[in-house]
Amino acid sequence: MSLSSGLLNLTSWLGNVIMPTLAGLFAAAAVYQFSKNRHHHQFAYAALASLMCSGLLRAMESFANQSAWNNPDRYWISILTLVNWVGNVLLPLYGVLQVVLAVTHYAGLLERMTVGEPWVRNLVAAMCSFGLSGLLRLGEFWIQHGTAGVP
Amino acid sequence: MTLPQILVDLMKLLFDLAVPAAICTMVLAGIALRREGGVNFQAGGGFQRWALWSVILLTLPQFLSWFAAQGISMPGQGGNISSSWVSGVEASFNSFVTNIVVAKLSPLLAAFCVLKAALDGAEGQNPLGSIIAAIFLLSASGTVQLMQSWNSGSEFATTDMLTSAWNFLAGTILPEAAGLAVVGAILNYARHKPFMPLVGSGLAFLSVSAIWKLVQAMAG
Repeated sequence: MSLSSGLLNLTSWLGNVIMPTLAGLFAAAAVYQFSKNRHHHQFAYAALASLMCSGLLRAMESFANQSAWNNPDRYWISILTLVNWVGNVLLPLYGVLQVVLAVTHYAGLLERMTVGEPWVRNLVAAMCSFGLSGLLRLGEFWIQHGTAGVP
Repeated sequence: MTLPQILVDLMKLLFDLAVPAAICTMVLAGIALRREGGVNFQAGGGFQRWALWSVILLTLPQFLSWFAAQGISMPGQGGNISSSWVSGVEASFNSFVTNIVVAKLSPLLAAFCVLKAALDGAEGQNPLGSIIAAIFLLSASGTVQLMQSWNSGSEFATTDMLTSAWNFLAGTILPEAAGLAVVGAILNYARHKPFMPLVGSGLAFLSVSAIWKLVQAMAG
């Protein structure tokens, strides 16, 4: 028995077995919060992140591997790469999402779904409850097909 | 001056018991690790002390050769134990460490650490510290074998082994800990707890050697 293989197996088990399983729980919590008209985004994002633990670790490794292991600037460069990634990859995607939300808000769709018309929210929550496995499979599909990155 | 045979035998006994004693101190280091948190250790605490004793015991002949190089007369370390009683003491201690400490006691302590992890979780605390301490305890003899492979054989073997231990932590253990940091960050995010410290520390785990070089550069 060795310490390094023990810790490696622990990390793999947590990241590749337990977290994808917990993703279902987070998705269920997100549906429940949505049905109560509470903030549900955190659980939804947590479910997605739970499905891609390995990918997030690989992302951190790629941030850290931008310079040599003995380069004194390595930590700064890794944080800089993280900031660049947030600014140049995540924020544009978030911006697209905001444009979509702006259009739907302008059309009044979200107001009717979340505030004005509770029956729509309840109907969507019921559909999500009946199709939680499908939602998880959809999330896994996105992640499996997203390994190549955003084109 | 010729030493009496009984003293030569006792010295030989103590040298022979160094490696089994190092396994014992490594088990004690595992217990101290859990007492100090499991995922962290206290500077100057019990974990550091017991781990240092393991290193000293594993490099005892080389450690004494440094004193000999300074001109201090050291007793010879070769030869066999002539007394059957002293040989019996050595065999008994070796058997105690192999058959009881390594085979029975260490796994039992690790099992209690797993129990502690479950109870920690029930109290709403982080169970990871007990799990890591359990893995450390289960791998105590393997860790000692690994450390023996780091023995450079020179009179600076003790510090060489500590350097190798640092390299092992920085190059092997901490990158694995980065994976645990990612898992912890996601769980904290889902539970509305601070997750950025874990993201920052995950990046630091992946570049701890570079941070060491940075500190060296800062110190000039």
